[in-house]
Amino acid sequence: MSIDWKSYKPLLIPQIKGLQNLDVYEQHGGYGALKKVLAEKSGAWTTDNVINEVKNSGLRGRGGAGFNTGLKWSFMPKPDGGPRYIAANGDESEPGTFKDRQIFEYNPHLFIEGSIIAAYAMSVETVYVYIRGEYRSWINFMRKAVDDAYKKGYLGKNILGSGINVDMVVHSGAGAYICGEESSLMESLEGKRGYPRIKPPFPAQRGLWGRPTTINNIESLANVPLIINNGADWYKNIGAPTHPGPILYGISGHVNKPGVYEYPSGMLITDLIYNVAGGIRNGKKLKALIPGGSSTPILRADQIDGIGMDSDSLRTAGSMLGTAGMVIMDEDTDIVDVLWRISHFYHHESCGQCTPCREGTGWLEKILHKINHGDGEMRDLDLLLDLCTQMEGRTVCALADAAAWPVRYTITRFRDEFEARCKNTVYALS
Amino acid sequence: MAEIFIDNIRYEYEGNAKVLQFALDQGLEIPFFCYHPSMSIPANCRQCLVEVGMPVFNRETNSYDLDDKGERVIRFFPKLMTSCSLDAADGMVVKTHVTSELVRRAQKDTLEFILVNHPLDCPICDQAGECPLQIQTYKYGPEGSRFEFKKVHKPKRIQLGPRVVLDAERCINCTRCVRFTQEISKTDQLTIISRGDKNYPATAPDRVFDDPYSLNTVDICPVGALTASDFRFRARVWEMNQTPSIDITGGKGTNVDLWVRNNQVLRITPRFNGAVNDHWMPDAARMAYMAFNDHRISRAHLVIDSKPVLTSWTNAYETVFEKVQQVGVKNVAVFGSPHTSIEDNYALDKLFTNLGHSGALFTTHLIEGSGDGFLLTDDQAPNTSGCRVLGLTEIKPNEVSKKIAKADVVVILQDDFVGRGLIAKDDLNGKYTVYLGTNLNDTAHAADLLIPITCVAEHAASYVSVEGRIQRSLPAKETVYSSRATNTEMSVGRLDRFGTSFDNWVNDQNKVDCKPAWEIIADLASRFGFAMDFPTSRALFDHIASEITSLSGISYDKMDAEQGIVISKENVTTTA
Repeated sequence: MSIDWKSYKPLLIPQIKGLQNLDVYEQHGGYGALKKVLAEKSGAWTTDNVINEVKNSGLRGRGGAGFNTGLKWSFMPKPDGGPRYIAANGDESEPGTFKDRQIFEYNPHLFIEGSIIAAYAMSVETVYVYIRGEYRSWINFMRKAVDDAYKKGYLGKNILGSGINVDMVVHSGAGAYICGEESSLMESLEGKRGYPRIKPPFPAQRGLWGRPTTINNIESLANVPLIINNGADWYKNIGAPTHPGPILYGISGHVNKPGVYEYPSGMLITDLIYNVAGGIRNGKKLKALIPGGSSTPILRADQIDGIGMDSDSLRTAGSMLGTAGMVIMDEDTDIVDVLWRISHFYHHESCGQCTPCREGTGWLEKILHKINHGDGEMRDLDLLLDLCTQMEGRTVCALADAAAWPVRYTITRFRDEFEARCKNTVYALS
Repeated sequence: MAEIFIDNIRYEYEGNAKVLQFALDQGLEIPFFCYHPSMSIPANCRQCLVEVGMPVFNRETNSYDLDDKGERVIRFFPKLMTSCSLDAADGMVVKTHVTSELVRRAQKDTLEFILVNHPLDCPICDQAGECPLQIQTYKYGPEGSRFEFKKVHKPKRIQLGPRVVLDAERCINCTRCVRFTQEISKTDQLTIISRGDKNYPATAPDRVFDDPYSLNTVDICPVGALTASDFRFRARVWEMNQTPSIDITGGKGTNVDLWVRNNQVLRITPRFNGAVNDHWMPDAARMAYMAFNDHRISRAHLVIDSKPVLTSWTNAYETVFEKVQQVGVKNVAVFGSPHTSIEDNYALDKLFTNLGHSGALFTTHLIEGSGDGFLLTDDQAPNTSGCRVLGLTEIKPNEVSKKIAKADVVVILQDDFVGRGLIAKDDLNGKYTVYLGTNLNDTAHAADLLIPITCVAEHAASYVSVEGRIQRSLPAKETVYSSRATNTEMSVGRLDRFGTSFDNWVNDQNKVDCKPAWEIIADLASRFGFAMDFPTSRALFDHIASEITSLSGISYDKMDAEQGIVISKENVTTTA
């Protein structure tokens, strides 16, 4: 698949100076999509039509799971007069992911506009924006943007005289990976300990304070004005057909030009590394990459030829798109050390609610620490894989999977390096 | 009716049912830790995992798809499901560890994980012997552990509150205690702090876990993480006899179990009764065990020059007979008590009415505002309603001293009038006071003759709660005159049944020289020249039931079978 990425003009973070300011955003057509929708709210842009347009655009959630955003919206029950919520997920806690903060910093109003349209489409009057607690500055950027939008009447009561009310609350997290999981994000918003909830009931049935709630990633919502302005058909043709739209690729690691780059979905990984990010630094060779945040299965350099950054293509390669936060590792990387570091993260961040994850993450880390220090034995590798089996799919949320997959795939894909670090297990003849 | 198949056996169910609770109700066993039938379902321990499938329904033929053998085609869910949170659905197929290797494996895996950071200090753990983790590890656990690292260390011996101690290392984070304070006692005093394998329950900084129901968390803790400061290291579970009984510190009629070793009650725990106290009891009621063991009146005493002097039962009876004869029965003030049973009050009342007396009086023991609408009541006595059912004359608390002032001989059954401040010690001066009671208290100290009676832990007797529910106790500890071997009402523990001569668990220590009040009164009756012979309190109750209309048809067996019987409300609420 060839994508004309060289002539691509960024849509989510266009190169416009001062776009984070409301007046500049308005000069460049900002809030046009909102005005368009509200002007014809009983005509072309009924709530159902907005949802259908987003559904037809093929926009898939950018938070990692890749579920069709419009379809998710359509799960909201009919309004019953009680409160309903949108929770915008800007927790962005997956290691390797740093895309949403670009939106907060450089184009916050695009996200705000998208959220208001989403709120209108789902008859929601309150939008919570949950932002990672460590993002102090970005929380302030967002607060200012929200204040400005209130002052101009884009938020609050009777928006632009349409009779629609939408309030937006910026909420700071307190530094827990698990609060990026949608149900513990809701618990956290409610002021409780961030423990994931069991599903069913799903958030659309019983979400925040027991009311219908939709949780969307920041980047997903920022795509909404683009779809409204240009139509679902236009959007569908950007990038990979089954996973269309612009994507913020967060490229980090051993490349010459790390950073967040906006390009169409389905970009070849090789293009991203060698052309966009300037190739591997110091002229080294690529060894491995993690395509979409630390929980997505690692890929060897020989697995990425012809693979594009969209879910279908990555699935054939044996990984996932995740958050498109790519971690590039060169030939000098100690893969055992990498895996230990990732395991350390999941051990540190397991909320401790479910047994397999609470105990399993710690155990995995301890074994990997031992192997990393040269004290491991061959049998430890099989034990690691066994523990992964014991964790996967046995917990309330997906954190156990997120912690187990890196271990499973790193060991299976780089087994020789692990074995080289391990002592032979010798059993006495009995 | 909807059907569900568990391990290839068909069951029918109605309405909404969770698979785990439904299976438990059928007598099936699925291991679990965090689930509790009276609280919300967090599904966090992951021990109750089952394999679940649904039959494939064909909308076109409006029937289930069948395979070659004519069996329904079952589509199993890709993951194991927690049966505690799983709603039963029509046609659902559930495989537990009985039929599924996958489930057996998952149970082993979960237990291996739980034990990774569990200290395994079972030999010195109070929970040993009644520990779900111990039992389930034995039944479903792995053969050993593959964990070869230092365990996570967490704080030990944390005094969470005045009555509860936490060992965080033993905790398996089931959150039952946290949910209890959130959902049942509603004080929200506990939460889980820290994260991951460092998690443990705690109070907010500088706050104390002084919930009036705090000790229930010790009962529901599936491991030895929460222990009662009072009971820690005092006994092994298997050394004690467990006897069903009734709480006597309040009017609610909370169902309890008394735990006895060497004729001492060592702890009191709640016993499930959905209509009264569910699985719970207040902390205050647990402290009653001390009164069963300590400061008991043992053998009759004459008080001479304000010093109690041991005397024989015969002499005690003779003294009562003489004093009543001397002053004439009309000049005797007779007080029954809401603090003791139907049987005792009936016998006392009957004795004196037979002698031509107007019958026993009683007064309530209420403390306004001490009730909480849950298990604590304003009524401090277990049998106020029982006294009313018997038709004892109710007088106001402030009338007690007037009645005593008019009398020459005062007979008080188990009511500490002096201690309660209803009368002054001096009010009994110049009267001959007979106190039939269990414990040495201010009234006993002011009396002239002390006659020891059995407490609720030593007799089978019935009590009527404020809600008009009649329930009964069973003797839990032996007296000088009763023996576990001969008293058929007494429970027989593991050691009684299976102990060997090496298990030196039977001894004669701590036996109180006392008799049931009704038995003492029956002896007195024969001294007065008429018969009140009943072989057992069971027979006495049958007699009472035949005499009192509102109790007709009720017997000990019926109370046992129905966990107490509500007698008509009118009979228990009349006031004097």
